[in-house]
Amino acid sequence: MTAYHSPTRVFCTIVPPHLLDRLARSADPAVAAAARRTLVTDEANRTARRLTTVTGVRPAPRGTPAASGEPRRTVFDAEQRTRLPGRKVRAEGDGPTGDATVNRAYAGLGATFELFLRVYGRDSIDGAGLPLDATVHYDREYGNAFWNGEQMVFGDGDGEVFGDFTLPVDVIGHELAHGVTQYTANLAYFSQPGALNESVSDVFGTLVKQYALGQTAEEADWLIGAGLLTDRVRGVALRSMKAPGTAYDDDVLGKDPQPAKMEDYVETAADNGGVHINSGIPNHAFYLAATALGGHAWERAGQIWYDVLTGGKLKETADFATFARLTVAAARERFGDDGAETEAVLKAWSTVGVPTRG
Amino acid sequence: MRIEVRRTGGFAGIERRAAVDTAGRPDADSWHALAGAALEGAGDGAGGAARGAPGMPDGFGYEITVDGRTVRCAEPHLTEAQRELVSRVLREGA
Repeated sequence: MTAYHSPTRVFCTIVPPHLLDRLARSADPAVAAAARRTLVTDEANRTARRLTTVTGVRPAPRGTPAASGEPRRTVFDAEQRTRLPGRKVRAEGDGPTGDATVNRAYAGLGATFELFLRVYGRDSIDGAGLPLDATVHYDREYGNAFWNGEQMVFGDGDGEVFGDFTLPVDVIGHELAHGVTQYTANLAYFSQPGALNESVSDVFGTLVKQYALGQTAEEADWLIGAGLLTDRVRGVALRSMKAPGTAYDDDVLGKDPQPAKMEDYVETAADNGGVHINSGIPNHAFYLAATALGGHAWERAGQIWYDVLTGGKLKETADFATFARLTVAAARERFGDDGAETEAVLKAWSTVGVPTRG
Repeated sequence: MRIEVRRTGGFAGIERRAAVDTAGRPDADSWHALAGAALEGAGDGAGGAARGAPGMPDGFGYEITVDGRTVRCAEPHLTEAQRELVSRVLREGA
């Protein structure tokens, strides 16, 4: 048994079983339907779908849907090895396999594709119908998931602390969002731009989940990786956008180190300058803006963040303050100077201590 | 020989450390060979290319210290020896 860093403990674990599978069988028809929307793979529904954006949201200025408007998913099985992509196990349009991990990856790719296409008019990761490839069962006891620049890779977890990384749909959305960032602002993966890169992935990861479940900002849990920790860990998830620093507090794992405010920014050389730590600050700003506006977070707060990511003004080395100023400008441009959106964004950044002037 | 591994980053961003002291271990020879190969790998393009450079999004970063000499590598730029060593130390180390 190896040592994780920094020991402490506090609260209890909730390990939901596979979110979408469970919700698809929910007694609440609205919840079940929303979950099934991401699980369903039949072509009949697919061809019947129209390219519409969410009511009340103007189409995004760029990234208009390409001809296809359909995902092109392929799931591979690394069979516990590290060679990528591995053996092809499910292609677009194929029915479910006997492997729940493969099916979750396939459904999660679909749910992410749906959010970007239906809400933001973006056809896949690159805006031009890029095929979506994912490899599952990567390595042995591999407690991680990553985007390697070309595809997503998911481990089965170590079984001790982490379960299967395909379990939370927001993890799948998070990895694909790294791809979107790569094809757009291409934020550098260190220090503040790296924390922004991470935060953008958490933002769109949680929006994938909220959109699939049809949740409002008030209903959402704002957790990243809920259901990923085993029941031996004291914690609910890996990160909380609502209350950064409270996702876990475990004697083996340590305590969630995320700050919510600039005054608690963590200077560290580890983790590419704390990209998974300081992302708590822009994460919380998004949460504050989204909950101040209410309703579906992807419609207004999400649109503003998407506009900044894809608008061409966000530099690869942007810091928090630059990003914050751009969100204010994007809110003004899309919703007007006097809109509730601009006010909510200004207040959110002010609360987390990131200046929007200067 | 003391072999230490520090892993940072990953989707969770949770740091993990483990160490193995090979003194008196029956499998000391295999540890020494593996550690030697892992350090050797750090000098070539595969492992060395990643030194000081940010890894890919959510990839793990590693510091491997063998008797005080530290090398750094990041996914996906790990040699086979480095990959085997870090997973063995994290699995069997304390």
